[in-house]
Amino acid sequence: MLIRIRRGWEIPEHQVTPEAVVLNRRAALGLAGGLAAATAATIVRPARGQPQGAAVPPLPPAARNTRYQAERPVTPEPYATAYNNYYEFGSHKGIAAAARRLPLRPWTVRVEGLVEQPREFGLDDLIAAMPIEERIYRLRCVEAWSMVVPWTGFPLAALLDRVRPLAAARYVRFETAAIPGVMPGLRQSWYPWPYIEGCTIEEAANELAFLVVGAYGKPLPPQNGGPLRVHFPWKYGFKSGKSLVRITLTDRRPRSFWETVQGNEYGFWANVNPEVPHPRWSQATERVLGTDERIPTRIFNGYGEFVAHLYVNLQHERLWA
Amino acid sequence: MAAIALGIAFLLLAAVPAGVLGPSAPLGEAIYRLYPPFLNTFQAGVQRHLAPWLWDDVLLPVLVLPSWVPFAAVGLLLLALGGVRRRRHRAAAAR
Repeated sequence: MLIRIRRGWEIPEHQVTPEAVVLNRRAALGLAGGLAAATAATIVRPARGQPQGAAVPPLPPAARNTRYQAERPVTPEPYATAYNNYYEFGSHKGIAAAARRLPLRPWTVRVEGLVEQPREFGLDDLIAAMPIEERIYRLRCVEAWSMVVPWTGFPLAALLDRVRPLAAARYVRFETAAIPGVMPGLRQSWYPWPYIEGCTIEEAANELAFLVVGAYGKPLPPQNGGPLRVHFPWKYGFKSGKSLVRITLTDRRPRSFWETVQGNEYGFWANVNPEVPHPRWSQATERVLGTDERIPTRIFNGYGEFVAHLYVNLQHERLWA
Repeated sequence: MAAIALGIAFLLLAAVPAGVLGPSAPLGEAIYRLYPPFLNTFQAGVQRHLAPWLWDDVLLPVLVLPSWVPFAAVGLLLLALGGVRRRRHRAAAAR
């Protein structure tokens, strides 16, 4: 008779952890390790990551607007806030620590140009005066990656109503802050700083155009464009200017930063279209931040029902780049 | 002899951007004026595929120098190298 004495390291088959659980745990540990390393780096080099300026007050309660459905899971916050494009802080994705040097308060935004009442708004006064809500939007970067973020903010149209655009206003120009001591990218003085973006007055009035002051229920962090950014979810991400200090209504089409630097690749309209490749890569699919899954890209980033009518008579324009 | 000729060529070349853009215009501006997309693509390549610090701490400090400085520096270096080699040749020939 064989008597089998189980050794100390042996366990029954049913107690073995499934592979998927191990891999998920590894991913979580990897992310936690990465965040710990990033935190440590911030501690070791405080000059790069210390928030400056006055304290940022919490956001007022914002109910979720269920009219806008992302149809995909929300990107976990650590991914969305640690993988960012913000050229003033560098041309790589790890700019979050450097961006945290941006002083978020006091912050004002001036709305001027072809309006009846040009005004400068203190950001906290503006937030208190606007119909704040949460919207879950997809964001599609021109670099073929995407995320889904619960943004807190208010419709761009609500702000424009406050200043009453004149009939001659045809375009809206968005200007990002340019603070040389804080933004290392501005050392590259040959670029056309400040970062400028723009849209038509019809696009600005569209219900999807959103001014964002928060994400994941918290004040918008600088690496995501805090304290105030615009978001056009049907356009490639670079169209959505960050850290806005000036909004100008004008009768001339604004020439954007990227249009000036690399106009053959980045145009004025830049609506998402999987059929029109970027000169250097395909736009047919996108990598989902957080899972790295590749999914098909949708025309207008899936928001065609809201915005396609804006472009019916503009087929002669370069709408997709 | 080739190093000295090349050195003189670089020194002459240094005068071109200084003459066109002014003596204090940075090298980056000269490159940007020649071909605007180049530096952006180059920076993205360096920071995303090599290391962010390589751009911030090594290349950018060179790009913000007045455009004539790097050319003049290379020119002077080549002249110095050429001078050293010339002296060695003469010393070897004298022996």
